[in-house]
Amino acid sequence: MNGGSLQHFFAMGGYAGYLWPAYAVFFVVLFVDFLAPLLRRRRLLRELRARLARKAARQSRQAPTPTEPA
Amino acid sequence: MSKWIPLWLHKLSSPPTFYRFAGALRPWLLALALLTGAIALYGGLVLAPADYQQGDAYRIIFIHVPSAWMSLFIYGVMGFAAFVALVWRIKLAEVVAMESAPIGAAFTFITLVTGSLWGKPMWGTWWTWDARLTSELVLLFLYLGVIGLYHAFEDRRQGARAAAFLALIGIINVPIVHFSVNWWNTLHQGSTIRLLGPSTIAPGMLWPLLTMMLATKFYYLASLFGRVRTDLLDLESGKDWVRTIATGSTLQ
Amino acid sequence: MSRPGLANACAAMLRRDLTLAWRRRGDIAMPVLYALIVTMLFPFALGPEDTLLQRIAGGVVLVTILLAMLLALDAMFSSDIEDGSLEQLVLAPQPLALMLAVKILAHWLTTALPLIVISPLLAGMLHLPTAVMPVLVLALLLSTPMLSLLGAILVALTAGTRRSGMLLALMLLPLCVPVVIFAAGAVAASQQGLPWLAPIAWLGAALVLLLVLAPLACAAALRIALDA
Repeated sequence: MNGGSLQHFFAMGGYAGYLWPAYAVFFVVLFVDFLAPLLRRRRLLRELRARLARKAARQSRQAPTPTEPA
Repeated sequence: MSKWIPLWLHKLSSPPTFYRFAGALRPWLLALALLTGAIALYGGLVLAPADYQQGDAYRIIFIHVPSAWMSLFIYGVMGFAAFVALVWRIKLAEVVAMESAPIGAAFTFITLVTGSLWGKPMWGTWWTWDARLTSELVLLFLYLGVIGLYHAFEDRRQGARAAAFLALIGIINVPIVHFSVNWWNTLHQGSTIRLLGPSTIAPGMLWPLLTMMLATKFYYLASLFGRVRTDLLDLESGKDWVRTIATGSTLQ
Repeated sequence: MSRPGLANACAAMLRRDLTLAWRRRGDIAMPVLYALIVTMLFPFALGPEDTLLQRIAGGVVLVTILLAMLLALDAMFSSDIEDGSLEQLVLAPQPLALMLAVKILAHWLTTALPLIVISPLLAGMLHLPTAVMPVLVLALLLSTPMLSLLGAILVALTAGTRRSGMLLALMLLPLCVPVVIFAAGAVAASQQGLPWLAPIAWLGAALVLLLVLAPLACAAALRIALDA
């Protein structure tokens, strides 16, 4: 595809100002929609790991003899 | 549980099983969505001829119309899941209903924005109070109401059931709004623009449209599965299977 | 439960709610004042032109009354939730839907009825022709109970939540679009000298349907929202 036809393609018969924003909205909104739960999932797992670690630390502190030397 | 619900379906509705099932299926669904979406875009933006009346602006329909279909389809899925959640109190159905709402709201928003971006060059206006547009706007508010009610409760499951009830009320409301705006337009004549006249669509334009419809369906499933997985982790964060996932980093 | 027992319970409920409302008379006056002030603002915002005000009068009065009702909607069950009497009602032997219908009636009598009484005044401030007034009042008599009934379902749904003001508006406004369309349509039609019976008949039919279904839905919603 040469430069002229590519330019022609992007001009969209003079409707580029309407067409490309519409496609941009479509992709941006769906991208955000897809990303949001992944980020939330990462945060959830991090919090859960932190909680488990705190719990484990508390249990080892309560144990009468420390199993490993500091 | 009733006898007529098949055993595998019952098993699938248990959170850990569905978590694994959705996790296995999700990458494939996403790949299918991207593949069919790319084919549809190539067909719609490059191969399909320009419309003899609307020029190239009509190419917005390749995202506008599938989004509009999805906004209604997802409301239907949400309503069905809400019904199941209220009648049988299945946790998975509550999660599916509540996690469908943001995706549906996203598609409704896309429909409204692309619709007005299409309407401006074609009919010279960003917005008109036509029955179809108004129903779509009301649909957006219904989605937002469901999402808002869900998050207003401190207890997530209670919030899900209240919002499911609201979703069912909304299902009755949409056709009534459509009917009443149609009636309203007959009262205030001259204030409307006829949006879609009877027209036949060329096959070169039809197949990208149908392919995009397929792509959005795949996308919905992929996005829904991702959201449901996250929500299940949150809801069941005290359970053993979630703990295994959190500590064993190799697991999905 | 015998028949007179049920009637007694309804009457007692109505009397109790009306007495409670009467003890807080200031709360009844609030929506009325709100409607008066909002209606007064329109001529200032749009200019005192008679023709313009006449044209928008019906719609402005309807929307103002709708918003005034929305303002009072939040309080429909709130005091009963706070003192726990709503939970008692859920556990009472009388059918919950019927009891809620009585409560909705009491709420309508104390908030919507005063608004309907002053609606000719509001419309008069905007120079609505006198001939149209009966249609306006009729449309309000049919549409305000619908708003109360629809609102009651949503208030019941939000019974278990703390913040609900804006949320209530977001949930109610989509549901009342058809009500506003037909009520304003009747007023507009009568103002243009067109037959206005059809929209009034639609409103009446919808009201009958809602009178039967809304209390049941309200009871179901309350059970969902209160079950912990």
